[in-house]
Amino acid sequence: MGIFAGALREVRAFMKNAENHNVREFAPLTAPAWPAGGDKNLVMAADVGVELGNPREESVSFVLWTEEMAEIHDGRITLIGPDIQESRGRSLPFGKIVLVGGRGFDEGNIYERYRELEALRYDLDLQGYMLRAASVYQKEWIRISRAAVEDGFSFRIMGTELIKPFRRKDYIDAVEVLFVTSGVEDISRLKGIATGVGRMIAAMGKMVDELSMDCDTCEYEDVCNAVENLKRMRDRLMKGA
Amino acid sequence: MGKGDGGTTRIAVCGKGGVGKTSVTALMVKHLSKREDLKILAVDADPAVGLAMALGEKVKKTVNDIRNDVIAMAQGGEKLSTPETMDLLDYELLDALSEGPNFAFLAIGRPEMEGCFCRVNDLLKGMIETLSDKFDVVIIDGEAGVEQVNRRVMKQVDHLVLVTDTSAKGLHVAETIRSLARDQEAVSARRVGLIINRVRNEREVETLLKRTTVELLGWIPEDDHIRDQDLQGRSFLDLADESPGSAGVARVVEALGM
Repeated sequence: MGIFAGALREVRAFMKNAENHNVREFAPLTAPAWPAGGDKNLVMAADVGVELGNPREESVSFVLWTEEMAEIHDGRITLIGPDIQESRGRSLPFGKIVLVGGRGFDEGNIYERYRELEALRYDLDLQGYMLRAASVYQKEWIRISRAAVEDGFSFRIMGTELIKPFRRKDYIDAVEVLFVTSGVEDISRLKGIATGVGRMIAAMGKMVDELSMDCDTCEYEDVCNAVENLKRMRDRLMKGA
Repeated sequence: MGKGDGGTTRIAVCGKGGVGKTSVTALMVKHLSKREDLKILAVDADPAVGLAMALGEKVKKTVNDIRNDVIAMAQGGEKLSTPETMDLLDYELLDALSEGPNFAFLAIGRPEMEGCFCRVNDLLKGMIETLSDKFDVVIIDGEAGVEQVNRRVMKQVDHLVLVTDTSAKGLHVAETIRSLARDQEAVSARRVGLIINRVRNEREVETLLKRTTVELLGWIPEDDHIRDQDLQGRSFLDLADESPGSAGVARVVEALGM
């Protein structure tokens, strides 16, 4: 099932666990969801309607992919916790996970594709929506302006717009988005999954960026040994070295 | 200029130490931030970080703190790619902003520690420029010269505002900064102008103007209210509009076409 099979199972288990809570599912909007923000799309503190994942709050964000299309509910936007309209004036802990179903992921391109998919969040240009992300911390910090909240901004709109740039990639066939605003505990659980994902990404990065292939001294040896794609990626690089 | 014109006006305020650069910068922020259609970024490029107090803002984190954190991460073995470093700097810069009523404040902090960290410095400068683009007006309170502005904040400004008091020394420093900016291309400025601060009578202005060819943007009368604000450590944003100093800066802002 691929590099993130374990993480995907954990995310599904998290979603199943949350079923008794405030969970909603949406389909993407078909009409244009929201006007573009433009070059000066800055949301200053005084203009904030809702804030997500402020550095003083918990936040987690990551992308997972699989080649098993049945694992992804294409177009589904799931929200666990309150929506934007129910959170006016609040700062919420925030989780965002994008689940992608695609083709042709192999040890030669997975790291490059990971970078590409991570960067797609910056394609969102929405009026009154401002994002800062620290991929090294797997965190996102989003401000939604008071005006955007007044105009009806929602996670359904955010999800609709987020799915679009993923769909434009020719190797992606299915995209599903999970938003979590239910509380610190839930975000902490997701951070546990994110840590494992982060170690796999770091192992890939290390293989690509560093010449050293001394597995005995590498802190990611356990990850590479456990994940078939990483093992193949390592073997391929070692042969080429 | 107004909302929606797309551009960002960058103003660097420089001059000899003690001539009142920070007071002038703070009062410019005060007047410009009254315009609800403008988003203002005030940058304190002076390591003494006096602009924070003049604006009534607390410094949460300086750009130099961010820089040192990133360097410490790298030295601690964290491998950061360029995109990772860029989004981390962008994230930390927003977190470092103190946000006042209709303006944001960013402190650059003390000069960097020994050692060559050109890549981090260049990325950081690039991210400050990118952040600046989101604002309508960026006002930089510089050190005496423009070198710090160039090295640590940005290379291009629209207005290089030179502040002097009525002393020959102050004017000489202003002239020197202008020459350096022009000849060594330390900072490229569309317009260079002079503000004469703490003027007691117009004759002092006339005397100084005979000795310089720098365009006069305006002069600011000696104002006890400004001295009091300074003495009490109070925000210049609270200074009455009708105080002579505040009114003088309002005229300068107008002369800058804003």
